[in-house]
Amino acid sequence: MKKTKWTRRFIFAVTILVALCLAVPGAPGRAVAAKAHKFAMILPGPIEDADYNFRGYQVSQDIKKRFSIETSYSERISPADAERVAREYIASGYTIVGFHGGQYIRIVKKLAPKFPEINFIMESSGRGKVPKNVWNVHRKFFEAFYPFGVLAGLATKTNKVGVIAGIQLPDFKSSINSISDALKVTNPKAELVYSFTGNQNDPAKARQTAEAMIANGVDFIINMVNLGVYGVVEAAKKAKHKVLLTTFYTDKTDKAPKNFAGTLYIDFRPPFATAVGGILKGSRTGWVPMRPGNGFELKSLGNVSAEAIAKTKEAFEKVRTGSIKPRLEMKKVRLAK
Amino acid sequence: MSIFLDISLLHLTLLMMAPLIIACLGETIIERSGILNVGIEGIVTLGAVIGFLLTYYTGSPVVGCIFAALSGSLLTLLLAYFSISLRANQIVIGLGIFVLGLGVAPTIYRLAIGVVESIPQVPTLTAIKIPVLSVIPFIGEIFFKQNGLVYLSYFLVAAVSFVLFKTPMGLRLRACGENPRAADTVGIDVARMRYGACAAGGLFLGIAGAYLPLVISGSFTDNIVNGRGWLALMLVIFGRWVPLWSFIGALLFAYVDALQFKVSVIPQFAKIMPPQFLLMLPYIFAMIVLIQVAKGAEGPRALARPYNRETRD
Repeated sequence: MKKTKWTRRFIFAVTILVALCLAVPGAPGRAVAAKAHKFAMILPGPIEDADYNFRGYQVSQDIKKRFSIETSYSERISPADAERVAREYIASGYTIVGFHGGQYIRIVKKLAPKFPEINFIMESSGRGKVPKNVWNVHRKFFEAFYPFGVLAGLATKTNKVGVIAGIQLPDFKSSINSISDALKVTNPKAELVYSFTGNQNDPAKARQTAEAMIANGVDFIINMVNLGVYGVVEAAKKAKHKVLLTTFYTDKTDKAPKNFAGTLYIDFRPPFATAVGGILKGSRTGWVPMRPGNGFELKSLGNVSAEAIAKTKEAFEKVRTGSIKPRLEMKKVRLAK
Repeated sequence: MSIFLDISLLHLTLLMMAPLIIACLGETIIERSGILNVGIEGIVTLGAVIGFLLTYYTGSPVVGCIFAALSGSLLTLLLAYFSISLRANQIVIGLGIFVLGLGVAPTIYRLAIGVVESIPQVPTLTAIKIPVLSVIPFIGEIFFKQNGLVYLSYFLVAAVSFVLFKTPMGLRLRACGENPRAADTVGIDVARMRYGACAAGGLFLGIAGAYLPLVISGSFTDNIVNGRGWLALMLVIFGRWVPLWSFIGALLFAYVDALQFKVSVIPQFAKIMPPQFLLMLPYIFAMIVLIQVAKGAEGPRALARPYNRETRD
């Protein structure tokens, strides 16, 4: 009889303890933390673009699957609207708000101190100081583009290489500098020309630029435009001489199998998963370098010699491991001399 | 000098000129009847998505162009209904059509294609060499080795000019735009003429939209029109509502636009000219020319004025 009484007390005590553990906010255990959080992603363009915004959409899907938390996303959000949309998410109970694009940095820095209980994730091209509730996904495009300079230097027959970008973002300026350095090392005779079309997503402008480059003898074009790439593809297909191309974000080799020499495959899922994982474990701030090996991969290398492929992969590996450290010059395009 | 008369530059000029002039001709027909269509950008965007999707599903660019034309016409008829039958403010309705077109086009695309990692593409139109003419040195390469829609644009400039200025129908149409009451007095059905002009002009706008995916990119992207509809609207004023002058304007604008890209990839020029300046060049050119041309330019007198036969002017 006495024994039963103590058994009951023990069971009661254990039950209370377990209940307390479950009730305490921030208690350890992913399942507990995961149930409390909701993740929202703010995207600048449409998710059917099969490019940059599609990659952001994938992040939202991946977070939902990986952490079993409720996720949502909003597309075509201009920087002017981003603050309003973020505030709406916060008011609706979302605790983690991710911003897909460097154009939102100011908004994140403005909102973060006003909502200290909310976690923000931003993308940037630098490791600057961020508020205590912000995770920074630092995109190192300049590292990832370096191997394309190697590839272009080894593949060009005319010794004329072109880069087509849209907007003069620091990421693109630093990447052009990095390509120029790689080109200088691999093929000092090669000349690099570059052009900013003023729009990342206008295929007509990109095509005009590509045709102008091709007419000037360029036979290798490194794309830094998003949807504009389809204009470049058409220019390459219709060119009188063989023109090789590279692209980024998603693999577009099937659009011109004879022209594409490589893809810089960019996946935002790993760095965002690191950030969200960190938040769920209780880290309010953090820095995730997105670089070769973590979010940047080389894919579909082809239409060039086996030697060019091998050396490009080698360069990528060396950048990944840190044996090659590409120059970081974001303010201005300064081609290697 | 060779840079400015480079064959590839001039060839590209005509390639980029065609959608501008086709849209411009459509707008000229509509405005000549007295209807101001500021929804042109939205209508062209709808034409782009319909042209692309129909070509993608049927494999025929001709079918794509026909349906793009019909979609353009349909959306312009919506403008016509509000402007002619309901006598609404044409600027307000036009802006509504603009926003509607920009919203509907990507929605149709998403419903048809969905969210995919690799977007669908259609083969772009190839150049058709005109026998005899294409072998003429310099000129042949530039003018007669183009795709079918560029040739269509040459034809349309001549055809629209002829219809507007050399036929009774053109005279009646212009009368509706200049003085609808006088036209009405002599038995012209103003509303019918205006509806007809909108339907016909809308066909052109739809084709101009289809041109972009079918010739330039082989794919539909959200931002594919990127202000070209507004440029066509400007070219109508530039050309003083005369197709031939608009054609010259479209040629000049496309030339300066192509030239800036040509110059931007020549290292000697690129060093001394910042890319921002080069990107501004076509628009600065357009503004300067418009300031000069717009002096004394008069549109149809009844443009943007709803006509009500039961009221006194």
